[in-house]
Amino acid sequence: MTHHLLGVGGTYPLLLALWLLPLAGAVVCWAFGPQLGRLAGWLVAGLVAASFVLAALSWGAATQNAAGMLGANQRLVAWMPGFDFGLLLDPLSLIWTFIITGVGFLIVFYSLGYMEGDGAFARFFAYMSFFVFAMLTLVLSDNFVGLLVGWGLVGLASYFLIGFWFERPSAVAAARKAFVINVVGDAGMMFAIFLIFAKVHSIGFGDAFAAAGTFAPALLFGVCATLTIGAAAKSAQVPLHTWLPDAMEGPTPVSALIHAATMVTAGVYLVARCAPLWNHSPQAQLLVGAVGGVTALIGAVLGTAQWDIKRILAYSTMSQIGYMIMAVGVGAYEGGISLFFTHAFFKAQLFLGAGLVIHALNNEQDVRRMGGLWKRMPFAFWVMLTAVLAITGVPPFSGFFSKDEVIYGDLQFGHPALFAISALTAGITSYYMFRLLFLAFLGEYRGEVEHGHAPGWTMNVPVAILVAPSVAIGGALMSGGESAPWARFFAPQFGAEMAAVAHRPPAISEGMTSVIVFALVIIGFIIAWWRYATTEAKRDAVPRLAGETAHMPVVLTNLFYVDAAIDLVFVRSAQFLGNFFGRMLDPHVLDGAVRDVAFWARWLGAVVRSFQTGLVRAYALILVFGATSFIVYYTFATYGMRH
Amino acid sequence: MLLVLLIVVAPIAAGALIFALPRNDRTISRGAGTAVAIATFAMLIAARDAQWSVRWLSRPFEAAFHFGTTPVSFWIALLLALCTACAVATTRVARTRDFVALMLMLEGTMLGLFLARDLLVFALFWDLMLVPVFFGLVGWGEHPATAWRYFIYNFAGGLTLLLATAAFGVIYGSTDVIGRADAHLVGAWAPWIYAGFAFAFLVKAPIWPLHTWMPPTYGGLPSPMVSVVSAVQSKAGLYGFIAIGLALLPDYVREYADPLMVLGAISLIYGAVVALVQNDAKRVVAYSSLSHLGLIIIAVASGNRIALAGAVVYIVAHGLFSAALFMVLGYLEEREGTRSLLRLGGLGWKNPRLAGALCIAALAALGLPGLAGFVGELIILVGVYQAGYVWPVIVALVGIVIASAYMIRLYQDLMNGPEVADVPVRGDLTWLEGLAVAPLLAALVIVGIYPVPLLRL
Repeated sequence: MTHHLLGVGGTYPLLLALWLLPLAGAVVCWAFGPQLGRLAGWLVAGLVAASFVLAALSWGAATQNAAGMLGANQRLVAWMPGFDFGLLLDPLSLIWTFIITGVGFLIVFYSLGYMEGDGAFARFFAYMSFFVFAMLTLVLSDNFVGLLVGWGLVGLASYFLIGFWFERPSAVAAARKAFVINVVGDAGMMFAIFLIFAKVHSIGFGDAFAAAGTFAPALLFGVCATLTIGAAAKSAQVPLHTWLPDAMEGPTPVSALIHAATMVTAGVYLVARCAPLWNHSPQAQLLVGAVGGVTALIGAVLGTAQWDIKRILAYSTMSQIGYMIMAVGVGAYEGGISLFFTHAFFKAQLFLGAGLVIHALNNEQDVRRMGGLWKRMPFAFWVMLTAVLAITGVPPFSGFFSKDEVIYGDLQFGHPALFAISALTAGITSYYMFRLLFLAFLGEYRGEVEHGHAPGWTMNVPVAILVAPSVAIGGALMSGGESAPWARFFAPQFGAEMAAVAHRPPAISEGMTSVIVFALVIIGFIIAWWRYATTEAKRDAVPRLAGETAHMPVVLTNLFYVDAAIDLVFVRSAQFLGNFFGRMLDPHVLDGAVRDVAFWARWLGAVVRSFQTGLVRAYALILVFGATSFIVYYTFATYGMRH
Repeated sequence: MLLVLLIVVAPIAAGALIFALPRNDRTISRGAGTAVAIATFAMLIAARDAQWSVRWLSRPFEAAFHFGTTPVSFWIALLLALCTACAVATTRVARTRDFVALMLMLEGTMLGLFLARDLLVFALFWDLMLVPVFFGLVGWGEHPATAWRYFIYNFAGGLTLLLATAAFGVIYGSTDVIGRADAHLVGAWAPWIYAGFAFAFLVKAPIWPLHTWMPPTYGGLPSPMVSVVSAVQSKAGLYGFIAIGLALLPDYVREYADPLMVLGAISLIYGAVVALVQNDAKRVVAYSSLSHLGLIIIAVASGNRIALAGAVVYIVAHGLFSAALFMVLGYLEEREGTRSLLRLGGLGWKNPRLAGALCIAALAALGLPGLAGFVGELIILVGVYQAGYVWPVIVALVGIVIASAYMIRLYQDLMNGPEVADVPVRGDLTWLEGLAVAPLLAALVIVGIYPVPLLRL
């Protein structure tokens, strides 16, 4: 199988505009923020929308398939031989571009209301616009270094936005943690680039993928494994996931855009983009599949033990991305990408819906102090309900189709163990999502806020728009197997993988897996109902929740001790070494001998001082004088010698 | 072409003339200093390929006052002129006139070093450039012992350099060899000559375990001077390895590559972990320099062509961001009267421009993709890996991760968090200060996107 060649050298200037418009927005908001005022938000919303329109206009160019070249190219710069930079728009990057600019536009629009009155309104939109630019750099680059530049810049945007309210120490700490863990991923990707460049003398995707078959198996596994470090850090996969729950310190629209819909799916994009590498390395496929599967399960388990509405959603994001990573890892690229696509809508909707609640309750995020909100906020209730039905995979909501593809993909590509994990995770997902819904919206209100903010139309309209794709886009695009629009769209890119497994169907049919998964979802729903939504549960909710808090298993409240282990093994040990070197070795060992010399020099100085002015600068004068007379003497002496 | 000579002489002469200004003058000396530095910048561009030479010695070996840039030193000299102009423009210290005069002499002596095409001239300016820094430490430093420590270490290096130069001249017959491709020295004495050069270069960079003069020096010098010293004077050793070690004694650099690489790697990790726990903002940057220059030593030791191209980019990048970091920290210290990370905090709210400048410089230092530091690191490591060295690459990547931790800590501890009550916040960057750091920050962005001229060697 030959993958399509990703050539460098084409010209498609529309790509440049599509890519740079958000950057322009960021620069303008940065430079003229105070003068722009509220206009800053509208400007960014407009530019992101313009990017979306340009992406839509590029549909034809992105899907053209002429002479083995799929998509449209635009050259940028060349640094030195092998370092050529360009942009590439093909079906894979087009899908990401649509989500980044489309969902991005809705979330920016929502932020106009959410961030109203914030002291740093323009700064927020500058960061958001910068993020869109960085994420476009990531998905549009046609080479590994450009990808890495985007990779680093989205990390920076994420850092700025997590720490947006930087007077809060918790936000500052969360931002730092996210940044450093993401640099671990960047370092992994850099190593992959070194391996690839040493082999093919180029950073281009096309060159690397064309040569993928000639890599030694160990080398190819090394490339994939180090790329996996990058994917794991960015996409919050075990054990590099600990930054994502903390990242919820950022404003809620940020959580929706960056930490749910787009940036955290970069790992999925990476594996899908490097499909030709993974296809040649079954071990790497198993590695990524296992990382994704374990993350899906662990994220879901931790999601059951959270009380903060945004942290529940954060663990759910981690778990859902685990699904996507698992799918693209085992080779079910279409399935993984379809889950990315639908997840972007319903997870954004969940976060924005949670944002409506948080905004209305004066920044209350603890579900134990919510309850009964469906009476106060029926709109938010319906938004959350449809999104929960979508994420749990209830037919015919969009999540059903994509999750089905992912879970069935495990069987298709021969990983029954991952299938079992995914099915179990689907049941747990159903439990914790309905738990969230019941705790927040059913029963009696348990908080103190009597009259909060009523969300304005700028917040409600984008959420309402998101409901449509969450409900229907799966059925519209992904039902119908190989003739579905989704499958036909990706046929030139990933058709070969699907064709390879089509002739050997697994023992359990697709319909049967749907039934199994749906049964588990129903079980999860029933347990959640039994614990939080029966009449007794609603009546003594306050003492029951207090009891549940007190009896939460300690393994879960400590989040499986991953944070503690990282802190002990890496952070503490580096600090210990630093203190030992800086406070012991440097002054007392390495510098010791020279301090003695300095002592003698000063002693000598004291002797000389008794003859002289006593100013220490006198020595320096002597030094200059000595050096000068040395030059003068030598110049003239040798001049004399020559004649 | 006499212009080349003028590049070296003009700053030194201007420095001497500035002493003739009134004792309490600030504005004229600062303006004149900046103008002279900008003029050297322009002259460097005009005289890129020019040379000037006059015979000096014919016995015991041939030597000449021979000046002219090499492809590598051209960029370092430009960096020097730029950093000097930016640093002098906003100098605010006691006895400004004397300080500016010293800064110009520092620039002139270092230009002499980087433009030297003769080893003996190189060795001469190597010692001369210690003098302004020594004066700076004596007159404006925090502790006189620091001046001595700086002097003893670097003069010891200067001594071995001079001996090695003399031996080279006697054996080879001429010291007019910098920038020549055909002047290779081999033989029984050659390893010792290389050792003499290498010791001087390792002290100057500095490289572990010869670095202990550096943190107090960088901490004690006034920020305009330390920004130039850390940006450019530290590059003298690295330039020496490239222009003298690799060009004249390549066999021995290759033969002793492994110990050099080990020292580079130790410096890289050592500097990084120590920077992680420093509470003095300037010392964080000082130890980070140890770490960053370790990477360039690794590049030199690999001897790989791509790694060396990357090393040039990184030399320039490190110069730009360390100068910018020290300047911004200097502005901060002038305002707050302290540079302790424990005492400062929350300055970002009321000083967005100060925070922005520190942020860009810190991001370049931690190797953010898109800025100059990243380009250097990436290309160096691509080359080092290609040369077959795997473990130094892994060490360097660990260093990059630690760098992100200490640079983010530096930025956040100063700018983020709640405002500290007992530290007054005295105003954001003035337009002049902003104008002074802007060229450095702009250059970081430009080199980060388009490093092509630096890679064309």
